[in-house]
Amino acid sequence: MSVAATTQPAEKRLSLLVTVLAFALPVIFVLVPLAIFLVYSFFSVDQGTIVFAPTLGNYARFFTDPIFLPVFWNTIVLCVSVAVICILLAYPAAYFLTTLKGRWRYALLMLLLVPLLMSYVIKIYAIRSILGLNGFLNKALVALGILDQPSTLFVFNMNAILLTLSLLLIPFAILPIFLSLERIPQTLLRASDDLGASGLQTFLRITLPLSLPGVASAASFVFVLAIGDFLTPQMVGGISGFTFGRILYSQFGTAYNWPFGAALSVALAIVVICAILIGERFGRNRGTSI
Amino acid sequence: MGLKKAFLRLATLGLGIGLMTSAALAANLRVLAWDGYADPDWVKDFTATTGIGVDVVFIGSDDEIWAKIKGSEGQDFDVFAVNTAQLQRYIKADLVSPIDITKLSNQKDVLPRFRDLSQVSGDTKDGKVYGIPFCFDSIGLIYDTDKVKPAPTSMSVLWDPAYKGKILAYDNGEHNFSFTALTLGYKDPFNLDAEQMAAVKAKLVELKRNVLSFYTTADEAQQIYQNNDVALIWANYGQQQVKALQKIGAHVAYVNPSEGALAWLDNWVISKGARDTAAAEKWIDFMLTKKVSGALSERTGFGNTVVESSSAGGNDKLVWLNNVEDPLKRSDLWNEIKATP
Repeated sequence: MSVAATTQPAEKRLSLLVTVLAFALPVIFVLVPLAIFLVYSFFSVDQGTIVFAPTLGNYARFFTDPIFLPVFWNTIVLCVSVAVICILLAYPAAYFLTTLKGRWRYALLMLLLVPLLMSYVIKIYAIRSILGLNGFLNKALVALGILDQPSTLFVFNMNAILLTLSLLLIPFAILPIFLSLERIPQTLLRASDDLGASGLQTFLRITLPLSLPGVASAASFVFVLAIGDFLTPQMVGGISGFTFGRILYSQFGTAYNWPFGAALSVALAIVVICAILIGERFGRNRGTSI
Repeated sequence: MGLKKAFLRLATLGLGIGLMTSAALAANLRVLAWDGYADPDWVKDFTATTGIGVDVVFIGSDDEIWAKIKGSEGQDFDVFAVNTAQLQRYIKADLVSPIDITKLSNQKDVLPRFRDLSQVSGDTKDGKVYGIPFCFDSIGLIYDTDKVKPAPTSMSVLWDPAYKGKILAYDNGEHNFSFTALTLGYKDPFNLDAEQMAAVKAKLVELKRNVLSFYTTADEAQQIYQNNDVALIWANYGQQQVKALQKIGAHVAYVNPSEGALAWLDNWVISKGARDTAAAEKWIDFMLTKKVSGALSERTGFGNTVVESSSAGGNDKLVWLNNVEDPLKRSDLWNEIKATP
């Protein structure tokens, strides 16, 4: 009796501590930094030092200066395209995986995820030497007789960014789609078969609708990762591939204009949060209706 | 018992050595420099000839030098290396002492362009000399000798439509404004008025349309060079970059443009907190000997102020980098240029 009486408050205290930590960590490491960012975006810079007087100037500049909105818009279009390409390539791959039996399925899945173990910068370097004018891709296309001479179509421009980002982010699309496909009960497919539906009908009316939540979260994953990237555009974008991430990066590096950089980040964060919310909403609606 | 005695003796010995080294440390010359500016064999030679011990601390960035010197108000170091663009900041903050050139016997034998220090922008203030130049490198033009004929003489070749898509430029607004201002013939590329700024901006938009890409690191430029058809590189990393390219078998050469090449210049300066000014002067004088300066160029590829090197010929016009009128403005304009379709 007495033992239980002494341990109970101790246990209670421990669980209270755990609860406090569980709430405190995200607050300290996520919410507070975000709040600092938000506050900084209302400051300004004069002669290389930050002026701590609130102003809306940074936001006004973002909306009125002719360079930021077009670049912002182009970047969103670019990242939506990346998401679409990733989905189109990842869906068949994930579907193929689910048709495999037993350990093959997971062995192949692991193989598809192996690129994630490699440093991201090394991958960009490798891709860049593949895409160059004397790169592997051009040499192969010329050798195969598809092109007469090396093409500049994917050398240091938006196409190069599109290709590189798609290649880098495909694993992030395969995984959620695979998981949602795998969750579809086999009984539904068998029932459809019993009722005389063709393979295509079963796919279009059962598999595809039930896998859409996975597609939605894959798309939002890829979009968010692509839009936050500044290194890929910086390294393969050349002169025409100028993206919002590169502008942001320059505000913190060479320009030393943190407040304006913070305001641009807030704009980016709003888009990212919207993308996540949309992905989440689609994911949940379909998921609960099974 | 025996053990205790031995222990005690060891402790006394240790204490003795400790006292000796700390006494030696107290008299040593304290040098703050970039890697490559105070190699061990030079330090050894210096100690052998002058009898002065040396402690060297290496730094990795301009900001680090500032932090170390400003942090101790100059008390922690006797002599340090800093470039001309930075030096004025130290003079203004009263962290460096004027140098008596008559104490430096080797200064009168340096290359002509460094003899009259009042002509070297940034080294003097109110007629007093604060920095002794010893190492520099120009930011010139690397060209592929097979593709660019005849050899270029001016940066204006970067705008030549014949090389469209075969040019690598550097991703930095500040430097790009300065060199373009020189190409347009402006006298002071570091202080541009609004009209000049607009002209340079328009010119840089044209440049952007002629280049393949903007690079940031020397490695990156080299990789792009290997995988693409590149004829001209704006060489931010100067001689180091040329040597690295030649090592991989590239047929490239280097030229300082006739309108003037931007260049950085490092100086030895004596800190306000120097304990022994005479020792610091001896160090600087030692660095200006033909032997040390020549070795410096051989080992680093940078130019020196005593012996002719491949960084620049005697007639090449060099424009020492200086602080620009408004770095933020240049950076913003550079973004605008990059965003222009």
